[in-house]
Amino acid sequence: MPLDRKLAIVDLTSGDIEIKAIPLGIRKKFLGGRGLNAYLLLNYTPDDVDPYDPDNVVLLAGGILCGTLASATGRCDVMTKSPLTGLLSSGNMGGFFTPELAHAGFHHILVKGKAEYPVYIFCHNGEVDIRDARDIWGLPVSDTQWAIRQDLGDEEVKSAVIGPAGENQVAYANVMTGIKNSAGRCGAGAVMGSKNLKAVAARGTMDIKIAYPEEALEFNKRFIDQITSAKVNQTMGTLGTPFIWGATNSWGGIRTRNFQYNQTEYADDIEPEHLDEIAEETCGEYHMTACYGCQVHCRAKYRIPDGPYKEVYDEGPEYTSQGAFCGETDTPNAITLLTANHLVDKYGVDNLEIGSIISWAMELNELGILPADKLDGVDLRFGNDEAVIEMIDRICFRQGWLGDTLAKGGIQASDIIGKNSFDYLIQVKGMSNLHSDERATPALALNCALASRGSDHLRSRPAIDLYHLPEPVLRKIYSSPIPYDGPLSSEHTEYIGKPYQVFWHENCYMAVDCLGICKYHTTFLGATLPNFEDWSKVLYYNTGLDMTPEEIWDVARRANMVERMYQLREGLKRDDLRKGDMLNHRYFDEPTRRGAPDVVGRVIDKEKFVKMIDEFYEYKGLDKEGNVKPETLKELDLEKEPSHLL
Amino acid sequence: MAKVLYIDYQRCTGCRTCEQVCAVKHDGVLNPIRSRIKIMKWEAEGLYVPISCQQCQDAPCMNVCPVKAISRNEELGRVEVNYDVCIGCRSCVVVCPFGAMSFNPIDRQVFKCDLCDGDPQCVRFCDVGAIQYINAEEVALDKKRHAAERLSMAGKDSVALLAQM
Amino acid sequence: MVEERDKLSTAESLRSTRTYGKFRCHNPTCMGRLEPKPGDKEIECPICGMRFRVAWVKKGFPRIRGPVWEHNRKIAEEALKKKGVE
Repeated sequence: MPLDRKLAIVDLTSGDIEIKAIPLGIRKKFLGGRGLNAYLLLNYTPDDVDPYDPDNVVLLAGGILCGTLASATGRCDVMTKSPLTGLLSSGNMGGFFTPELAHAGFHHILVKGKAEYPVYIFCHNGEVDIRDARDIWGLPVSDTQWAIRQDLGDEEVKSAVIGPAGENQVAYANVMTGIKNSAGRCGAGAVMGSKNLKAVAARGTMDIKIAYPEEALEFNKRFIDQITSAKVNQTMGTLGTPFIWGATNSWGGIRTRNFQYNQTEYADDIEPEHLDEIAEETCGEYHMTACYGCQVHCRAKYRIPDGPYKEVYDEGPEYTSQGAFCGETDTPNAITLLTANHLVDKYGVDNLEIGSIISWAMELNELGILPADKLDGVDLRFGNDEAVIEMIDRICFRQGWLGDTLAKGGIQASDIIGKNSFDYLIQVKGMSNLHSDERATPALALNCALASRGSDHLRSRPAIDLYHLPEPVLRKIYSSPIPYDGPLSSEHTEYIGKPYQVFWHENCYMAVDCLGICKYHTTFLGATLPNFEDWSKVLYYNTGLDMTPEEIWDVARRANMVERMYQLREGLKRDDLRKGDMLNHRYFDEPTRRGAPDVVGRVIDKEKFVKMIDEFYEYKGLDKEGNVKPETLKELDLEKEPSHLL
Repeated sequence: MAKVLYIDYQRCTGCRTCEQVCAVKHDGVLNPIRSRIKIMKWEAEGLYVPISCQQCQDAPCMNVCPVKAISRNEELGRVEVNYDVCIGCRSCVVVCPFGAMSFNPIDRQVFKCDLCDGDPQCVRFCDVGAIQYINAEEVALDKKRHAAERLSMAGKDSVALLAQM
Repeated sequence: MVEERDKLSTAESLRSTRTYGKFRCHNPTCMGRLEPKPGDKEIECPICGMRFRVAWVKKGFPRIRGPVWEHNRKIAEEALKKKGVE
């Protein structure tokens, strides 16, 4: 049964390994994946611990559906305390690692302590070993995965690894599985590096019993049809996530030159259709690849057509890489994009964060805030492709004053650089914003400010808000599973109704992460994709767990609240620009200048924005300060947290 | 005439749904090592090749079986194992040129593709059409069409080139 | 419970609302539905005048590839001037 997959607690200091069953009561409260990880993080970490302290823990987990017949169950949730934000670090990746882990008997791995020398953890058929990784330390991501297979003499081993960026404790280093699947954003890779933990590997051949195999097979066919019939997934299966670029850059939703513009002009070279041509020329007609059990196949295969890494194979690039290495830095060239995308995959660093930080440094340079003698000879201008590539190397290996400073993350770097550098840092809770420009879209701006792990598009972004869906359709979506009769608006430049949308999507995405399936299989980019009602069925047929859509909604609310409790414990304050729920002043002060005629000249209205936050807090059960109301704790059965039940 | 499984590995995205549904269909549990079809992968090059039984006409497994447990079912166009007779010696595993005859270490039995008695689940779930179940006379048709397209494209290109000259 | 599981979910029922062969103009208050003719490479929104380059995901399935740069830039600059933004 998927329900009997276990938690392994590995203490790298003592070498002790404890294997625990996950009680059904805890499963029903948190399901698994991100929700259960949040519970474990709250329970297993001391208050205010330094992220690099051995007492910090790293959690890797599959969702409750991991390794079942439900589609795209290969998601891996990685959680720890973030060296980038000093708050919750949460990342989620696809690939093939967690199903292998599930076949090895585990859903959750909790790592604490610090090893004396580089090690990796190997989970296999109910057992866990700590193995020597001294010969593997220093290798890039993909080579590490291969070296572990050779060390174990088994090509079927899957692993979640760190690259040089994690070893060098770059504050936004990733944990990665496969060529490009990354649990990124908050620097979990750096925490693994601080523990001398190069990888967690898994190989399993244990059965996972499906509760109702025949029904699961039939229902899953229906589930897959629902997913693959969506226009958005057909587009994504052809062009990958870069497909978002075309429309978004057309209307003016791409931040460019850090935050100076909201459109990257003449970006034809990096348009998805051109990237698709490159993939076809270098990898053949059928050049899309997929994660475990997924029919969307949103990842392109490519070989870099030119430049210093000519003919090197990689996968992607994602929409985020287009923004990070082309939009923000104003270098819209395909070779730069594909090369930079390869480098971040090779070194194991977050594409979004590194691109954003490089573009911030470029703006500081332009403004004279960054002294010329601190640039270590790099011509750090917007539009300089070579500088983008060079800075990725320097940051990942912490070369020179600038590389080392930027590797610490935006807020720490702004403290070192000083002057008014912080004012130009486009971040929330210490984490850089996605490359999208939200000045014309209040709902999306609200999501950035409120996302649990820091500015982010994968924690609560109501992306379908851009589709101008008729109000009755919106009403249908947002009234499931809990009836909603408050305001709603089809206009994505409006403020009304948006807080509820953000609240609904926060719960939707948390549920997905607890189930352990992919966000492209839910109401993220497509309005007709499965959510609560469909999950109730897929959960039942696969695991036998009979939960109503409303109960799954409650799990999501509860898990989100645990994340909030953790954030508050670690110092989140509503209006704190470094650790709070507020956007950079430029959203309110600097009007947009490019794009559609109805987009230009827009700023976010701060007064209305603050009211939206109030409203969101109310839906969520927080008081005006953003603290959890006692009655909310009672309602969600969280009064006794941390309850140490696992 | 019975249909055959046709694998076009170039279309394969490597998602392993075929392995999942195969195991669940036959054994009711999910476990890739129970799957009759397996995707061989070279991840660093993005190359994925699904391997399954070819239901050979002159099947080495059938020929080598010391107890004649393996026979050909003409109606379904498959080579099948009679488990009442099979002694589990794994000779068939040794001789299969594709490695498509597997050994299940949990039940300690050899096993192979049985085409799901005419409704192969791997085909049903393969959205990209890397695995197809088609009439035997059509196996080369797709390739012929592609070759013809290539020829006609080249023809058009040469006409265009001539026009430029 | 079993009967209920066969029922269409809200998300499944929304499949009938899908439109094919069209996309929306991306000017927020315009959002007019644009329907390029098969093979068209460019389309102009009859309402707001924005011009887009069109790409085809497959037959009958168009999408916006990008803006017609010079044309839309002019519209944006005029709008910006009208709004009095420096």
